Amino acid sequence: MRVYLLKRLLNIVPTVLMITFVVFVMMRSVPGDPVVALLGDAYNEEDAVRVRQAYGLDKPVLLQYVIWLGKLVQGDWGASILSGRPVLHDVLVRLPVTLELIVLSMAVALAIAIPAAIIGAVRQNTWPDYAATTVAMIGVSIPEFFAGILLLLVFSFGLGGLLPSSGWIYLPGTCPSIVCGVSFWGNAMHVLMPAVALGIGRAAILTRLLRASMLEVIRTEYVTTARAKGVGEPSIVLKHALKNALIPTVTVMGLQVGFLIGGAIVVETLFAMPGLGTFGIDAIIARDYQQVQGFALITAFAFVVINLFVDLTYTFLDPRIRYGA
Amino acid sequence: MDLRRSLSGLTVLASIVLLLSDQGVAQTPKRGGTLRVSYGNEIANLDFHTAPGYEMMWVAMNVGCGLINITSDGKFVGDAAESWQISPDALSYTFKLRKNVLFHDGTPVDAAAVKFSIDRLMDPATKSGMRTFYDPVHSVEVLDPLTVQIRLRQPYAFMLHMLAAYRTGLVLYSPTATQKYTLQERQQGKPGAVIGCGPFRLVEWNKGSQLVMDRFDKYFVPGLPYLDRVVIRVIKDPVTEMAAFKAGEIDFIASFSPEHVDTLRAHNPRAQILTGKETTPMLAAMKVTVPKDGKPMSKERAPHPIFGDLRVRKAIGCHGIDRQEIVKIAFKGQATPWVGMNPPGTLDTVDVNAMCPYDQAKAKALLAEAGYGPQKPLTFELMTNTEKSVFSVITTVIKEQMGRIGVTANIRLVDKVTWMNTTLQDGPWDMYVEDLLSLITLDSNAYLSNSTSSWSHPRHNDPKVDEYYARYARELDAGKRRAIAKELVEFMADKMYWNNISGSPFYMVAQPWMKGYTYNAEFEVHYDRVWLDK
Repeated sequence: MRVYLLKRLLNIVPTVLMITFVVFVMMRSVPGDPVVALLGDAYNEEDAVRVRQAYGLDKPVLLQYVIWLGKLVQGDWGASILSGRPVLHDVLVRLPVTLELIVLSMAVALAIAIPAAIIGAVRQNTWPDYAATTVAMIGVSIPEFFAGILLLLVFSFGLGGLLPSSGWIYLPGTCPSIVCGVSFWGNAMHVLMPAVALGIGRAAILTRLLRASMLEVIRTEYVTTARAKGVGEPSIVLKHALKNALIPTVTVMGLQVGFLIGGAIVVETLFAMPGLGTFGIDAIIARDYQQVQGFALITAFAFVVINLFVDLTYTFLDPRIRYGA
Repeated sequence: MDLRRSLSGLTVLASIVLLLSDQGVAQTPKRGGTLRVSYGNEIANLDFHTAPGYEMMWVAMNVGCGLINITSDGKFVGDAAESWQISPDALSYTFKLRKNVLFHDGTPVDAAAVKFSIDRLMDPATKSGMRTFYDPVHSVEVLDPLTVQIRLRQPYAFMLHMLAAYRTGLVLYSPTATQKYTLQERQQGKPGAVIGCGPFRLVEWNKGSQLVMDRFDKYFVPGLPYLDRVVIRVIKDPVTEMAAFKAGEIDFIASFSPEHVDTLRAHNPRAQILTGKETTPMLAAMKVTVPKDGKPMSKERAPHPIFGDLRVRKAIGCHGIDRQEIVKIAFKGQATPWVGMNPPGTLDTVDVNAMCPYDQAKAKALLAEAGYGPQKPLTFELMTNTEKSVFSVITTVIKEQMGRIGVTANIRLVDKVTWMNTTLQDGPWDMYVEDLLSLITLDSNAYLSNSTSSWSHPRHNDPKVDEYYARYARELDAGKRRAIAKELVEFMADKMYWNNISGSPFYMVAQPWMKGYTYNAEFEVHYDRVWLDK
């Protein structure tokens, strides 16, 4: 197990580097560069050439990447070309907001998916099953921005500001600046709609998957044996069927993190949240290469670490699974 | 009877007194409170002399002060300067500064600080977008600690306009803080580095989250500002912005999208919708020349393969575009169809709409003359960017209108940086739809439309345009200046070097409890007299 873990941890390095390299090359292939945005109405060709030289943007792409990597190894994530702000600082300030959003949206997804899937599997081809399947289909079909706007129109616009439409209140002890709104309640109010908007689509996917897995498990011989032995139905469903059906679901949950990061860009922009999603999209739009690299690095790292964690949870869900050398 | 009459008279009198006293109370500004402002775009950075974008400028004019400001009716009022004199030959402007003006770091705003700030703007190493406006300035001289003189190379009729509101005006920098901190620290918004002399001092800027400014207690106008704090947040989505406004989460939207104004008004009948004369042109620019040698920005130019021909420019831009229809669809009638280069709210504006009536037959005839027709149909690329949704609407309407005269316009939708990259760097494009910057004077448009500027995207190489602008800027007689403006605008419309569609309306929205704000478009956004009546 230890060797396996070490191997996986070492694998993270080339994976993350590959992702950052691809992003690095792709960003520089996109038309436009940050100098145009930086100089704005002061733009002239001579100044643009000088600024490109100053930021090393005139060097070959590979060399730029090596320079970026060299600094990264020393803990220097660079500074934003547009605002001059240190990338690592901005990433660390925004990361907790996005992490909270992603964790809570996954919680929303599971809170919907697990009961819906159980009902669907246990009461197959009855109206509760049809209802759960239909809701799942609707959830899959609604994009995050649309769900977000609907929630916004109902709970913020329609119901006279029942839930706040935008911004962020920090959890106590997490305020990254001098002036912050800080409270548990305020934080919960601010994160609720974004987490639901982001989680609802994932809930639908997980419901369908978990229902199908549970149906498969329920038909296995060991479940029939358990029933024959007189084990109670709740115990069969929760202990035998659900736990075993969770393995493919957990795999998909890990992969869904990537979609959640993508969805966070949309949801954070819609709800004006100061998270990594808005950081990433602003950086891409402004061609702020250093910030884009920081965004790619942290999201790639988060993705591979979460998937490693997912793989490790298999051993808990199914004790027969062993990771050897 | 007399008693009854006297009593009713007294009642009426008492009511009037009560009413007046009540109004008097309501009109007395209250101190304190936090103004919550929403911006639609992020602030680029906080170096006031170089950062692009109105969002930064609206912070700069509250953290910073300048020499003078301009009112919405075009009058100049002192800011750090209490008075000024112009020499008879208009070659020197002498400003007398107020005695009690301090920067936020406690250093005085004196003549040396003014000289320092202007010299910094004029220094090519600063790379300020303002530099071009200071071309007529020969030098800045310190006459005594509170008197500074700006000497010009030649008369410049718009010197005061420029100081007050070009790129929304000169912002004075504390020499001490500027020398102590690096450019990067100022760009990052490090509070000690961003030192102005305005009514509010910068407390912090968390990009992507909020910018906080607090009252500067030693502001030179006694009693001002009324507010304790201003917090600026960025809300990019107009629907979210409307929801936040309706829920009372924000007090002021600094720039609101015109297409959502009616919805906002319907849901917030008491909201103050602030707007004025249009000063921003909405353009359908056509590229006039391309580099002869294929190298972008080359001085050797050849006519653009399509719009290098004046007949085609006139067919498409002048007679082929139905401006009324565009305004009706894209702006719900809340803009003015306008052919002239400077919109209806700009100084010395000229209505030349009669020069370009919508006339499909004439457009087709001109196209036929230029060799286009059913046998050789004209196809061009119509570019726009994603910054404002109204651009896409206008582009779609133009495409449809082109179809009516047998022309195919292929829409190319790009993001803002790609658009800037293509247009500023002389890249390949045929026509684009955009609104550029707000124009307080026709003179300020020289920078966007003379033959040498990077921002003159059509890249016409007609020196006559430059001559017009130079004559206009040097002419000190207002009547003669208006005559030159008319000639210039007619010339631009006749040559179709600048193809205006309409003005681009600008809206701000305030809660009913926000008092004391004076609307002056994008040019002056000051919170020093704002107070909250709640």
